[in-house]
Amino acid sequence: MKGKAFINKLIFFVVVSGFAIIPYVNAEELDIFGYFEPQYVLLYRDGESYQLNSDKLRVDLQHSVKEVEFGADLVYTLYYGKKNWNALDFLPDVIRSEVPEGMQSYFLFSFNDTLYLDNVYVRMSNSRVSCVFGKQQFSPGTGYFSNPVDVLNSKDALDPTYEQTGHNGGRMDIMFSSRTNLMFLYSPIEGDWTNSGKLLRFKIGLGHFDFTLSGYEFREQLTDFYSLSVINQRRRLVGCEFVGQLFGLGVWGEGAYNFLEESDDFYEFLVGTDYTFESGFYVLLEYHRNERGKTSYQDYDINDWLRFYLGENKTISRDQMYGMVSYPITDLINLQILSIFCINDGSAAIVPVIDYNIFENVDLNIMGNIYTGCEGRFYNSKLGNGVVIRGRVYF
Amino acid sequence: MTEEGVKNLEDKLVNGWMGLFGNLTINQSTVFDRRLMGRNMMRKVLFVFVLIVCFGLIAEDKEGKITAEEIIETMTETLNPEQSDAIMEMTIVTSGGQERTFVYKVYSKNSGEKSMMKYLEPGRVKDQAILMLNNADDIWMYFPRTNRVRKLATHAKRQKVQGSDFSYEDMGSSNEFIDDYNSVLIGEEEKEERLCYKLELTRKEDSDAGYSRLTVWVEKESYIPVRISYYHEKDKNLLEKELILSDVQTIDGIPTPMEMVMYNKLDDTKTTMRFKELTYDVDLSDNLFSEMGMKK
Repeated sequence: MKGKAFINKLIFFVVVSGFAIIPYVNAEELDIFGYFEPQYVLLYRDGESYQLNSDKLRVDLQHSVKEVEFGADLVYTLYYGKKNWNALDFLPDVIRSEVPEGMQSYFLFSFNDTLYLDNVYVRMSNSRVSCVFGKQQFSPGTGYFSNPVDVLNSKDALDPTYEQTGHNGGRMDIMFSSRTNLMFLYSPIEGDWTNSGKLLRFKIGLGHFDFTLSGYEFREQLTDFYSLSVINQRRRLVGCEFVGQLFGLGVWGEGAYNFLEESDDFYEFLVGTDYTFESGFYVLLEYHRNERGKTSYQDYDINDWLRFYLGENKTISRDQMYGMVSYPITDLINLQILSIFCINDGSAAIVPVIDYNIFENVDLNIMGNIYTGCEGRFYNSKLGNGVVIRGRVYF
Repeated sequence: MTEEGVKNLEDKLVNGWMGLFGNLTINQSTVFDRRLMGRNMMRKVLFVFVLIVCFGLIAEDKEGKITAEEIIETMTETLNPEQSDAIMEMTIVTSGGQERTFVYKVYSKNSGEKSMMKYLEPGRVKDQAILMLNNADDIWMYFPRTNRVRKLATHAKRQKVQGSDFSYEDMGSSNEFIDDYNSVLIGEEEKEERLCYKLELTRKEDSDAGYSRLTVWVEKESYIPVRISYYHEKDKNLLEKELILSDVQTIDGIPTPMEMVMYNKLDDTKTTMRFKELTYDVDLSDNLFSEMGMKK
């Protein structure tokens, strides 16, 4: 605990020291930028329609003094519309009926207005070594829809490129050559040194391929929704990634074997390929296997569902296929269709997306989501079909 | 024969010719025998005639000696100095007439074999970076909001950079004219008010270049291309794009077209790239052209 406290204090000191300098910096040298993002969500389920809307403001601050860079972004989100929900409403009836009446209130949740520092960091670097301390972005993996080697973030497969929140820690990158580097991340989030997050990644480029080996140790929290308790266990992960091209196709993959202190070990992998045709038509396919997922929808239980919603598990089912086609209708309008198919239960989600760059710094994004599965399946219509309209004005 | 060698030979011939007439004058003033003079004159006129013919042949040889390959090599060297550090502005005009402007920093090393672009403006792409190694055979993109680096496969080389009329291949492949095409010198032609070599470049059989053929007009004086016509990958007669290079200025001793306009004839769009700042007098580290370099 002492070690963790010391490192936390050290990181805090470095970050605060960095930002203490900012007031003395010429205001013109402080780069201020960001965006305003209004979002409207219309949801139809069980014959009823709902709205959950939000206004998000993100302000980024950035300043560099020679080889030292300070960065931060403040995010303020206001929610309006239907802000209070019950997680049980999104579960199959058979699962919901298992929850005792007296415990149903535990599953209520609200979208409350938030104000937080998403990233706040100091980066010190020379030509070969880079050190970043503070809350920062960390997104490993080569997969588009999901990343088995990424244990810090939980991607939404329906909106996989949306930004993730930052992670506290200290990170060091050492570059041996332009395509060979070693990275170490220490994330003192939980417990002492032994249980805090430690990640080591070695990346090398060979020919047209990039290969990465990684090892990660951290404390995993899994919620048991039957007993409403939390399981804490040490998880160790050994992972590898590759990305390159084969026979003219882009190919990539990543796999992880997870050693768990108390539960059964499991593996997870993803392989993908893509191709862009002369016309600009783009096709992407990925196959994802998560051994923690179930092979039959009849075995899905409340833990599977809610752990998936909370990001504690990446999928409910074991085997998924992801697909994306994209076509630039004009230079400013792009049409995409994302599809997710659960091999184990035959359900699917289809997400048509239109991206329109209306003005120089204004983007409009319209996404639909259609679930095809029957009651109890992974992508069942009870989750609600709907539309998300998202604008973004950059400054 | 080098251009300097040809020039020396020309000088010798011209001097010899002048000397011949000088001798003739002396002969005229010292020897007043008309018959003898007539015989000598005949020999000398014949000699002069032979020299004129030879000079003409040599002058023609000079043209023939500069091969299409030499022109393309010199042009490629001129367009791709060893290193460069620049800020460029790219303005896209869509078929609907809307304009989008991007400002980016671009570094280049090993005569364009390595290059990196980092967007400065507008806000929606700020700090995004594109790294191209091995003449754009390997491309990585960096997205700062997720701190994610994504490697693009070769098929993406032909795609538009930020919706512009330049593909990654157009931007990052410095040696494509030599490696991917066979070139033939067609002749000379005035283009963009400059006297140019006109060359026809046809894609090599084993090449995966994105165009079936190119027509290139290279200015004779500076070896800067003033116009390049790009023909469709599958139809040699379908003009796809046309690039016009202008405003040639000498930067650090190297002639440089400061403005490049690409017209997309199929989409009826236009993209203008202009150097806002440029220097060739830099010593860029290899480490800059890396994942870490993109994130800085």
